[in-house]
Amino acid sequence: MDSIIENFFNLEIYRQVLPYLLNGLWTTIWLSVIVIPLGAIAGLLLALGQTQSGSRWVRWTVIAYVDFFRAFPPLVLLIFLYFGLPFLGGDVPKLAAVVIAFVLNNASYFCEVFRAGIQAVHKGQMEAARSTGLTRMQALRYVVLPQAVRNVMPDLLGNCIEVVKLTTIASVVGMPELLRAARDTQSLVYNPSPIVLAALLYLVMLWPLTRVLASLEKRRTGMAGH
Amino acid sequence: MNEANSGFLFTFFNPAVAAQYWHEIARGMVVTIGVGAATVVTGVAAGLVLALARATGRAWLRLPVVLFSDITRSLPPLVIIILLYFGLPALGMPLSSFTSTWLSLSLVLAAYAQESIWAGLSSLPKGQMEAARSTGLGWWQAMRWVLLPQALRRAVPPLTNRVIATTKNTALGSVVALSEILSTAQASAAVAGNPTPLTVGAFLYLLVFLPLVFVARTLEHRSSNRN
Amino acid sequence: MSAPILELVGLKKSYGSQEVLRGVELRVRPAELVCVIGPSGSGKSTMLRCCNRLEEPSSGQVVVDGQDITRPDTDINRVRQSVGMVFQHFNLYPHLSALENVTLALRRVQKKDRAQAEAIARDALTQVGLGHKADAFPAQLSGGQQQRVGIARAIALKPKVMLFDEPTSALDPELVDEVLRVMRALREGGMTMLVVTHEMAFAHAVADRVVFMDGGVVAEQGTPAEVFENPREARTRSFIGRYMDAKSASPA
Repeated sequence: MDSIIENFFNLEIYRQVLPYLLNGLWTTIWLSVIVIPLGAIAGLLLALGQTQSGSRWVRWTVIAYVDFFRAFPPLVLLIFLYFGLPFLGGDVPKLAAVVIAFVLNNASYFCEVFRAGIQAVHKGQMEAARSTGLTRMQALRYVVLPQAVRNVMPDLLGNCIEVVKLTTIASVVGMPELLRAARDTQSLVYNPSPIVLAALLYLVMLWPLTRVLASLEKRRTGMAGH
Repeated sequence: MNEANSGFLFTFFNPAVAAQYWHEIARGMVVTIGVGAATVVTGVAAGLVLALARATGRAWLRLPVVLFSDITRSLPPLVIIILLYFGLPALGMPLSSFTSTWLSLSLVLAAYAQESIWAGLSSLPKGQMEAARSTGLGWWQAMRWVLLPQALRRAVPPLTNRVIATTKNTALGSVVALSEILSTAQASAAVAGNPTPLTVGAFLYLLVFLPLVFVARTLEHRSSNRN
Repeated sequence: MSAPILELVGLKKSYGSQEVLRGVELRVRPAELVCVIGPSGSGKSTMLRCCNRLEEPSSGQVVVDGQDITRPDTDINRVRQSVGMVFQHFNLYPHLSALENVTLALRRVQKKDRAQAEAIARDALTQVGLGHKADAFPAQLSGGQQQRVGIARAIALKPKVMLFDEPTSALDPELVDEVLRVMRALREGGMTMLVVTHEMAFAHAVADRVVFMDGGVVAEQGTPAEVFENPREARTRSFIGRYMDAKSASPA
């Protein structure tokens, strides 16, 4: 029991490393804040392409994109871009490789979520809107998309949570986010406590969101649940 | 520009380097598949058991399951892997990179599988259990023959997505020295001084996971058509 | 006077502070068809569901064929084979065919082998007029057909008494008759039946005894003639009122 506290919940070490971890946490947060909107917008555009385009080629390209990035592990994508982009010329900042890799990966998941939401909106909605003279764009903007987003709110939130968890991958290429800070300090103090502290920080950040997600899902399916 | 382009191709698609190192990386693929398959089996099985425990309605079973599920889904998988691999030795329980990766990913998949199956069970009308019990079926029999078949069918789309996401995370094992595709590719690239092995690794990943994605799409189609 | 197949003694049920059943006394004799009528909230369905302990009584006893099934040591699964139930919303298993819906309990509870179970099941389905639909799935059947499969599922176990919880309330009007017809045929075959229903005409014409429930107790009971044409209680009269007016207005 003592050795558990000594090695995992060492308050002295917590005190020492907390400033470093908080710096890392800050990086995690702004990295997420950059990636989420970019991924969501890209995903929405892809989903619109897939559901609204008359062209078979556009639809299949989107599906191919989505399937490709669903099959490709994000860590591998990151390593590829991180080592590969410099070859295309110029000095590419580490951050660019990380953001591009994350957005490419995440846009495919946002696309799937938006697609499901759009397809869940009754076809009659678009028909009704068009029959009152609204253009396609307007119908989408004022009638279809608001309902689509409401349909998949839980999944959108779930995806945001996934992005925050995804940021840990950037630790592998030295990005100073929370996990990197934890691992660096761990090797300095020869004690796994920093990693446990980092885990606790992730929990503090993400557990409330997971609970919100659970209650959103309950409301969606209208179940009493436990 | 031409020089840079051919340089790019030569760098990333160098046939000689590929030929030299591809078996090494293919061996990594076996590990990727091995860890992935093991994770799916234990993760889904554990998730099923947890969902059933929760379904009994008894608080002493339900609360730990919900607690476990919440915590596990709120942690990045890489953090769990690193915790197990670097943390447990301090308790005198060192785990191999295979075991750390497999165990972490199984825990994560179990939590998500539990949620999906539980959601499937909860979405069934209460009358199903009542009808089954009214004909004399016991609780477990009713689960086995009436409720679970329906719940599992509903759980398939979210579950297949989660299985793919989790098995892709076997790549994270490279961070704790698991000799799967990524780490063998990286090692080979370092030795060769050329990134072509990474390209080989990328192809092998697609080889393993694109079929899974296609299966997932087909399963989603079929279950949505049936509904 | 033969011993009752089903007996409710001082049955009480509360949900928290809300008392739904306040001491129900009821006896159902073999081969009797008893119809229970009453306003919403009178506790009719709750009372019915206590008979096979889908609802647990707060106090009182439920005695099935001489056995007090409210005792904690009762093998409730065994008891439920003798007490059949038909639900308002049918509750058929959507992933199983009509035949499989009926054979499930025969095979898993009564441990019959497949051939035996199927023979019994087909027999039950034929009895309700759906022998030709054995391989259909619930989604392919109309509401009336689904309810008849529900009845077949219950009678296949050869119960001693059948409970019907508003069996036609969820049906479109034109589908109600086929179910009532099956229920009449069952009664003619000698089945003991306790039916909670809004179908006053059915109760009036077919029941041996009508029970009027109100406010968690049996307010009045008697033959259909007694209850419908000569109710003693004022509340019975006002509940029956609308039905009897409509009946006397139109040629019977």
